[in-house]
Formats: sequence, structure tokens, C-alpha cells
Amino acid sequence: MKCVARQLASSVVCGLLFWAGGVAAQGPVCSEADAEALQWLARTVKSRSEVAYQGVVTLQRGDDMQVVQVARSLADGYSSEHLTRLTGQGAQVVRPHHPLNCTHPGEQLLTLGDRVEAGDCGLARYYRFEVGPGERIAGRQSVKLEIQPRDMYRYGFLLELDQDTALMLRASTLGRGGKILERFQFADLSYDEPLEPRSGMDTVHPAAHPHPDDPTAGARLSVPWIVSWLPNGFTATDAADPEGPRRTYTDGLAVFSVFLEQLPRELRPGEGLARLGSSLSYTRGMHLADQPVLVTVIGEVPVNTARMVADSIRVAR
Amino acid sequence: MTEQLRESLSALMDDEATELELHRVLGELESDAALRQTWVRYQLARSAMGGQPVSHARLDISRSVSAAIAAEAGAETSRSSLRERWVRPLASLAVAASVTAVVVLGGQQLYQAGSLEGQSAPVAASGVSAVGFVNSLGAVPMRASYGAQAVPQLEPAARTAYRELARQRMYQYMQEHAEHAALNSPQGLIPFARVPQIEE
Repeated sequence: MKCVARQLASSVVCGLLFWAGGVAAQGPVCSEADAEALQWLARTVKSRSEVAYQGVVTLQRGDDMQVVQVARSLADGYSSEHLTRLTGQGAQVVRPHHPLNCTHPGEQLLTLGDRVEAGDCGLARYYRFEVGPGERIAGRQSVKLEIQPRDMYRYGFLLELDQDTALMLRASTLGRGGKILERFQFADLSYDEPLEPRSGMDTVHPAAHPHPDDPTAGARLSVPWIVSWLPNGFTATDAADPEGPRRTYTDGLAVFSVFLEQLPRELRPGEGLARLGSSLSYTRGMHLADQPVLVTVIGEVPVNTARMVADSIRVAR
Repeated sequence: MTEQLRESLSALMDDEATELELHRVLGELESDAALRQTWVRYQLARSAMGGQPVSHARLDISRSVSAAIAAEAGAETSRSSLRERWVRPLASLAVAASVTAVVVLGGQQLYQAGSLEGQSAPVAASGVSAVGFVNSLGAVPMRASYGAQAVPQLEPAARTAYRELARQRMYQYMQEHAEHAALNSPQGLIPFARVPQIEE
């Protein structure tokens, strides 16, 4: 893994991004609650390299509930994680051997706790935070972060973190009017040495590890394209191949991906929408450089974000 | 065009705009060419989702919308207070519905005229196997025999087809999205639990 060098490089990139954003902002807006919440979020990210655990998590989306087992272990500067579906499909996702010093752009956006005093409010420019005592979850006392978006381009969240370890015990995604779109929470949690991944699963998927600075090799289109508009605060998760079919963006809490397909024939222009919990699939038939294309935005963002992003796709010049 | 206007515009598309936003957008549409252009693009995108094509070439979104609202508002003020209490929620819905109807119609006028960004008249979705929803379009290959009639007849089918397309794409792309979400949001591997069917 070359992630150490990579990480340095991408820190520089991110630093520039933050600096540019800081110029645009109209002075610091962070309240005490914002600063406290940002520190909690930074601790949550840090806990990834400090806390080993295993537990059972429920994921609720509307009437649908899934149960998964998750575990993380730490050794010799690496973490190993796995997620095993206990309901429905017999599938497992594993991420063995991830360097602890490898942080991705989304994590970097969340680890701004120590910069707040310097007037950089980071995420507090896009979200309003409240911090308060949370409930007991999976037998652990929690701290509750209420997170309200400051614009229409992202959802709100209710995050409850372990008071001692900052591990995220429960996360609810809130749509308009505080409606819960998705909620995951630990039903059972222990900080003992984690289980080995279960054997005998039908499907075992090793999670990909895209480098922030390395375009992923894969299919290429004949037209280089750009997304010319993003909601404030969103940044690319990895360097985009200008002719690659995918882009992914994050503001640290929300993530969405844009996929472009070139169609061999004309498709009637139009748009379609499918939702599953907080996840959205927005598909749009349109033209790019006089060629018919299908744009799909997948992610945990409201539909107006997806529509405006799709609307902003242009040929790269 | 300000961010706020674009927000309001998008909200209007989803029938989620407040009356305040509505009036602001209508006021701006008169004078802001860029906003009108954005509006028309949204409407083009949406035109497959319902409504019937209109033959008039003239676009007068804001005036017809204002008229629709004025009519609704007039109807509302004449109600007795008791009745108003019951009817008001329905009346607001009606305002939203009529605005959408008028506006969608407006977008389609342009669409039919084919005057935007050199796009030709709508193409009946013929043989779109590449995107995999030929069947859900029903009797698609009608372009030869039905000629110009094909487009209006496809309206409801195209709407269903696009919804189906979005659903299929969610299955197709959710795992690739999760690969990146898992590294860039604070929930660890949980984004993979959103994938309908995990592939190796």
C-alpha cells in the first residue's frame, strides 16, 4: 500500500480546497455547539484507528429492516473490517489490511475539530449543530448530535455517539419535516477482540480501495465530461478520469455518485426516480455533445440536488 | 441567478415550494433570462413524465401561472371561515397542482417547437435495448405505423419506463457508490448494507 505518500498529497489538495472555501465564506459562523459537535465528529473519525469492536446492527428503511454483523480489529498499523448480512442475502463485505494512516477526503472533512478555533468552521457552514445527552444504545451511554442542513441540498442527521469511544451507535437520516428516511443502530456491541469473519458465505466481496489521487481503471467514454455545479461543501472523493463513467462527491456526511452512459440510439429526454430509504436513484436521458446519454445520480441526497447536478453536466474543454 | 432562486425552482418542480418561494420565482422569471433557461431545461427533463403536448409555440409561463394563482386565491377569499378551515389545505394543494400543470404545459410548448439547444422533436423511444427497458415501454416499435401519433401515446409509458430505469440503475450502481461512500462517510462499511444485492 502506498497510502502514506498518497495521503500527504491529497492533504495538500484538500488544504487548498478548504482555503478557497474559507475565502468565499462570510466570516466564521461557528457557535459553541458547532465547535463541540465538530470535535465529536473528529473523534468519531479518530476512533476508526483506535477502537476495535464487534456488534450487531439493524438498518431500517421504511418497512424494511435488515440485520448485519459488523466488526473491526486493529493490528500493526492496519485495520480489518467486515460486514456480514444476517438477514436476506448470505453476503459478506471485507476490508482487510487498511492502513490506519490512510484517510480519505470525506474523513478529512470531518477531522476539523482542531481547526475550529482558527475560525474555520468546516461543516458548520453547511449544517447547524446541537449537542445534547443521548439515550442508552446497545447498553452504552450516548451523546446526541442533531445536525440540520443549512440549504436544500442535503439531508439532516441525528447521530448518537458512544460517550466514551465516540463510536457511532445510531445514525438517523432525516428528510423534510424531520421524517426519518433511514436509521441504523447497534443492537449489541462489545469492545472485546472481534470475531473472525464468518465462513461459508455465498458471496464474499473484498471492498475496493480507490486512491484519492489515482483514477480507477475501467471503462472509458468517448467524451470527457465534467460536473459544473456542486452544492457548497462537496468535494470529489477521488481524482476523476475525465473520460471515466463515474464521479463521487462528499461533504463529509452525505455522499453521491454520478454515472454517465453513452447510448447507441436516441432516447426520449426525460427523468425518472427511485428511492430506497435515504438512497436515491435519479436517472435522466439527455444530450451531451449532441450524443444521447443517460445520467444517473445515486446517493443519499434530496432529488433537487440530483437534478441540478445532472443538469450541470458539460463536455470538458 | 442566485442559488436561492435555483433552489426555489427545483422545489417548485417537486411541488415542495412555499407560496413565498413561488411568488419570488414568478417575479424573477419575468426578468431573468438565465432562470427561464434553467426552468425550461428542468421542464424538458420532466416532459416525459406526463401532461400532453400542446401545439401553441408561444411560451408564457409566468403569466398563465399568475392567472392560475389569482383564480385560486380569489376562490379562497370568498369562502366562509368555517369552510375555509376545512378547504384551505385542499386549496393549497390545488394551487400547487395548477401551477405545475400550467408550467409543465409551458415547458412542453417549447419542447414541441423544438427550439431549445438545437434539439429535434421528441424521439419515440425505439429499440432502446441498450438501456434495458424495451418491455416496460409496451408497444414501442410503433413509429412507422403511428407516425406523429406515437409521442402522445407514449407519455404514460415513458413515465413508467423512466421510473423503471431509475430502479434498475439503483441495482446496477449502488455497490460502486457504496465502495466510495464506505471510505468517505462516518458509518464504516454500513453503506454496503444499502446495496440490494452484493456481488463479489
